[in-house]
Amino acid sequence: MENDVAWQNELGRRARIYEDIEAGHRFEGTMTVLDYASMTVLTLALVLGSWFWGA
Amino acid sequence: MTDHVANGGLAAAESQREEASVNRAAAERGDAPLLPSERLWGFWEFTYANSALAIATWAFLIGGSVGLFVGPKEGIAAIIIGNIVGVMLTALATTPLSGRYGIEQFVALRSQFGYNGSRVVYVLAVVVLTMGWLAVLAMMFGRSIDGLAALSAGEAANPTGIKMIVAAIGAILVTWFIVAKGPTSIKFFNMVVSPALVILMIVMLYLILQHRSFAELLAMPALAPPFEDNTLNFIIAVEVNLAAGFSWWPYIGNLARLTKNERTAFWPNILGIFGAAALGEIVGLLAAVALGDSDPTIWMTKIAGPVIGIVALLFVAFANMTSMANILYTSIVGLRQVGTASVRAISWGAILFLFCVIPLGLVVFYPQMYDGFFIFLVWTSALNSALAGIGIADYFFLRGQKLDMRSLHGPQENGPYRFWGGFNPIGLFALAVGFGVYVLVFNPQTLESLPAFKYLTASVPSCLAAGAVHYVLTRLFARGRGWGFYP
Repeated sequence: MENDVAWQNELGRRARIYEDIEAGHRFEGTMTVLDYASMTVLTLALVLGSWFWGA
Repeated sequence: MTDHVANGGLAAAESQREEASVNRAAAERGDAPLLPSERLWGFWEFTYANSALAIATWAFLIGGSVGLFVGPKEGIAAIIIGNIVGVMLTALATTPLSGRYGIEQFVALRSQFGYNGSRVVYVLAVVVLTMGWLAVLAMMFGRSIDGLAALSAGEAANPTGIKMIVAAIGAILVTWFIVAKGPTSIKFFNMVVSPALVILMIVMLYLILQHRSFAELLAMPALAPPFEDNTLNFIIAVEVNLAAGFSWWPYIGNLARLTKNERTAFWPNILGIFGAAALGEIVGLLAAVALGDSDPTIWMTKIAGPVIGIVALLFVAFANMTSMANILYTSIVGLRQVGTASVRAISWGAILFLFCVIPLGLVVFYPQMYDGFFIFLVWTSALNSALAGIGIADYFFLRGQKLDMRSLHGPQENGPYRFWGGFNPIGLFALAVGFGVYVLVFNPQTLESLPAFKYLTASVPSCLAAGAVHYVLTRLFARGRGWGFYP
């Protein structure tokens, strides 16, 4: 498939679409600071809560 | 004339549709990044898929193993602590990049280990692990069917007998057939089986609580604690669950690439994988301690009686098959990317079958591996925790969450991910350091450990050490040598 010109063109087309999305900052549903803060708080709450309850 | 032009236009449109369909199928198999418009799964669909992956008898077995080390109260705490940390770090290392770019996990791994290095990682983390899991899950399926047959006939079960082996072989072959049909059939299977399994968990929990009150269960002792030091037993139970959490590393990236965006790729792991696995493990733990046997194919019939026992075993048998289908699919998607042109030339159905040959052999010639499943699980964490650490350091801290799709999918021999002969010595060295730290801190075979293990576990230092070594050495050496297209 690597030597297939049509397939290389298709790979190029897909890469270009992502380059355009990236250049225009048009990624949808990206993770934000709120997501990373939420996962940290959730992890700490579950670890500490379980530790004090069960360990 | 008008009809002729119209027919020509229709033919051209039809040909374009066919080409788009072929390209999309190739992208689904991992040959190209999936475009956002081609992704199959939203939040709930991915949650169902993850739940189906997580709820299998492995969750019951891990829960039962935890019951060997600690009582139910400490066990529940260990299950929650180990799984949330393991799943969170693994999901962070694999799913945001898959959800953002729709990229196949082992193609993305070229940016961390080089195009040949990703092949090494694939063999270590996927071939060995997935083949082992396929065999173990098939044997669990076989044991469930054997238990069903025994229950129906009113005879004693023979979990290592010929019925188990035949059923296990059947499970692998049916899984092969399902996966050969593509991800759409897996999605259908997940959507049907997963909600039913959550209901089964709740019914099992209800039945256990009919035998003993929750307070009585929490007060029960461990089945076979290996050490007198209760803190050490507790940390080993946490480590078993960290291993369970990290064991999703080879799989969830390639499932997450079927989701619509980063958030949809990440958060369902917490509900689907963590939630479902923790629920299954807690049910397994309580049942094991209450009934004195960690094997779910045995305690289910004890607890549920013949009628519900048959239904439960049937569900659990098929739950194993959903897990098998998911891990087989993701592994072969990866194999097509790390394999040579001749591997990629093999048809989808044939390559799936070839991958199943060793698990079939294990089922027939080495059924004893079922009993060593817990040690096998913990060994995998020595590798998976280090891989997670390297993945987080590379994608978030070294690359600023940016991957170059063109270079990752283009010819590799002279591309930026060539590193050193196709291997990134820094990534591979960091992996070796992470593995070494794990085994130094805690030996899964003998359960011997350093004093630090009681405070740090083994997976967490392994993850941190691998990530730190990868970060520091890449900053010091990779950019100057032009390795890896780091910004």
